[in-house]
Formats: sequence, C-alpha cells, structure tokens
Amino acid sequence: MFILNPQSGTPIYRQLIDQVRRMVASGQLAAGAELPSVRELALEHAVNPMTISKAYSLLEAEGVLERQRGKPMAVAAQARAQAPRTDRLEQLDGQLDHLVLSARQLELSQEDLIRAIRKKWSQDK
Amino acid sequence: MTIPYISAQELTKKFAGRSALDGIDAEVRPGDVVGLLGANGAGKTTLLEVLLGLSPPSTGSARLFGSAAIAADTATKTRIGFVPQADELISGIRGGEYLDLIATFYPGWNRELAQRLVTEWGIEPSKRISNYSLGQRQKLSIVSALAHQPDLLILDEPVASLDPIARRQFLQQIVELTADERRAVVFSSHIVSDVERLANIIWILKAGKLLWKGDLDALKESVVRVHVPTAVAGIARMALRRVVVERTSSSHTTFVALREPDEDWSTLAEKAGANARIESLGLEDIFLELHS
Repeated sequence: MFILNPQSGTPIYRQLIDQVRRMVASGQLAAGAELPSVRELALEHAVNPMTISKAYSLLEAEGVLERQRGKPMAVAAQARAQAPRTDRLEQLDGQLDHLVLSARQLELSQEDLIRAIRKKWSQDK
Repeated sequence: MTIPYISAQELTKKFAGRSALDGIDAEVRPGDVVGLLGANGAGKTTLLEVLLGLSPPSTGSARLFGSAAIAADTATKTRIGFVPQADELISGIRGGEYLDLIATFYPGWNRELAQRLVTEWGIEPSKRISNYSLGQRQKLSIVSALAHQPDLLILDEPVASLDPIARRQFLQQIVELTADERRAVVFSSHIVSDVERLANIIWILKAGKLLWKGDLDALKESVVRVHVPTAVAGIARMALRRVVVERTSSSHTTFVALREPDEDWSTLAEKAGANARIESLGLEDIFLELHS
C-alpha cells in the first residue's frame, strides 16, 4: 500500500509520512481507515520496525492518525478538516523548490513559469 | 538510565605496534540496530571481537552489560548471540546434531523457532555439515545464534554467502527479533542496502576510527551533494558551512557537505546560488563520498 525506497536519500520514515499525509489529504485514506500494523509493514518491506513507529508517532502528533486501544492506527476523524490550506500547500514545498530552481537555471522568468503552470492546470482539469 | 549492552571508551587495539582500532567511543542500548560499515581492513571484525571480549583492548575499555567484556561470565554470555565471519561449526556431525548440542548451552533455547527456521530456510538437518554448501553453513550458523533469543545479537558479515531470497528471509527474521525493543543487534555488512533497511544507527569505521556514529535518518538528512559551475563555486563554498569533500574540474565543482539542522532545502538552494543543483544521498553514496 506504500512505496518505500530504503536506498533513497530521503529517510524511510519521511517517505511514509509524506505518503500518508498525501493519501489523507486526497481522501484516498478516509477518516477511520485503519493502517497496517508496525510489524506488518516492517516485515513487508524488511525495514526496521522503529522507523515505521517513528512515522506513525509523528503523524499522530500532527493529528493525522489516531492510536486506538488494542487496534491498529487509524486516520483521525478530524484529519481532513484539520488540514488547513496552508498545511496542504506546505506539502508541495519540496517540489516547488525544485521547480523554481529549474526555472531559474533555464533562465525563465517568474511569469513564464506561472503561465506554464496555468496552462498545465487547465489541461488536466 | 539503563546500563548499555555495549559500551566502549577510548578503546584502542594494536597488533605488533600497528594500530588497528583507535579511540573508539560507542554505546549500544536496548532497541538499537547498529549497522557497521567499513572498507576491507578498516577493523570491523577486530572491533566486534574486542566488544565481545574475545580479544582484550590494548588501552581503554570494552564493557558488556556493564562488566568488562574480556571477563564476561557464563550468565552474560548466554545473553549474546554471535555469528562470526568464518563459521565455527563442527564439520564431522549432522546439522541437526549441531543444533541439539548448541541447545544444551542455552537455557533460553527456543526449539520451535529453531525448527521453524530450519524448515523455512531449507537447512537439511540430517546431512553432515562437511557436505553443506557455504550458504547452508551460514544459515546454520545464524540459526544457532538466533534460536536462544539473545538480548544482544552480533553478526559479522552474516549474509555474504546467501542468495537474495535467503537474505530477505534473514532480514525479516531480524525484523521479528527487533520488534521486541529489549533486544539489540550489531551487524557488519558490505551489502549497504541491507544495512539501510535494518539499521537505525550507523557506525562507519575507516582505518580503525569511527568516522560517523549515530542515527541513519539524521545522517541522510544532513548530508547534501551540491553541483555548481566552477566559475561560481566560491558562492556555494561560502554558503555550505561544513564541506567534507570538494572536487573541482575546469568546468564543474562538486561539494559534499553537512547541512545544519536549521537549514532547509530552499534556504540552502538560495544561498548556494541559482546554478547550484542539490541532491540528498543514499547510504552507499554517503559511504563512498566519505572514502573518496
């Protein structure tokens, strides 16, 4: 259910956090949906269980996930409503950095980039 | 504060006046999974042997569960599982007989676990060990160290002779073991991708010195590689506070640097200049850069 690449420069717990956040924000993971247990996920990907529980704990602290007694972690009831626009926008930060950097390297102007984004946006709609 | 399972202080080891380990300070605590990386001859096996008390340090101290490693008593030894690089199996007997023999040394021997691993890993218990392949010997050696469910498991190149399927089974077994956070594992391996999966702590040994010891996540989050045109390399050099490696050609300069905790990608990119390309690195690249 998750794509984890242990050999990436991005730590595994970061990859997991980003994917859960995105899936919750997009509604792919609905409120109340249960996540695989730490052990299950660690075994499936053959990764250290602590890296999975670290991701889950941080997501819990953010209010994205909820710990249920004696049951697997689940998407918090309020998760969708709790993610304000600024938070969702923040998730694009990394990609925006790369985009802006590439545009600068190609000596494109801010207007060029915005125009290109507008065009893409209306194409995909 | 709990007593660390392993603790080394200012540990050195000399062979015939030549320094093999130099100023090692390190600890292993319950829950730690330590991946030990180093080039051939860096001192990995020597370090594991001294930490285990198989060989005394020349100066400094190595402690196991709070007592001097070299004087570890039987009770301490039964808490440890060790898979040496060259296995210490008895070739004249059958695999099953060997496990039965090892079982008598350990009160905590888990017969069920041993049986399950023998079956799952395709070990032939009725075959003489002298007729085992290298891979089978390695599997048997691992089972004999795992089945008494040690608090501290130390493995020196445990998977060198295993095929990818057996390696994955081994990794999953270690995952099972470490799900219990009272346990700790230290393992050396040249297969960096295995270390990357299992370890939460990395020790990088270079010429007898610990070049890095600490969290794998922190290591990945702090190391960056920056590529810039040599003409504007000065700007990037100023922006990067801790440069570890610098390579320059007439057109192109590459820096490997440690990022400060307060620096995120965008501030770093801004400071390094518009022409800088910044990348994060996997463990193998980090290891190679630290040896370039």
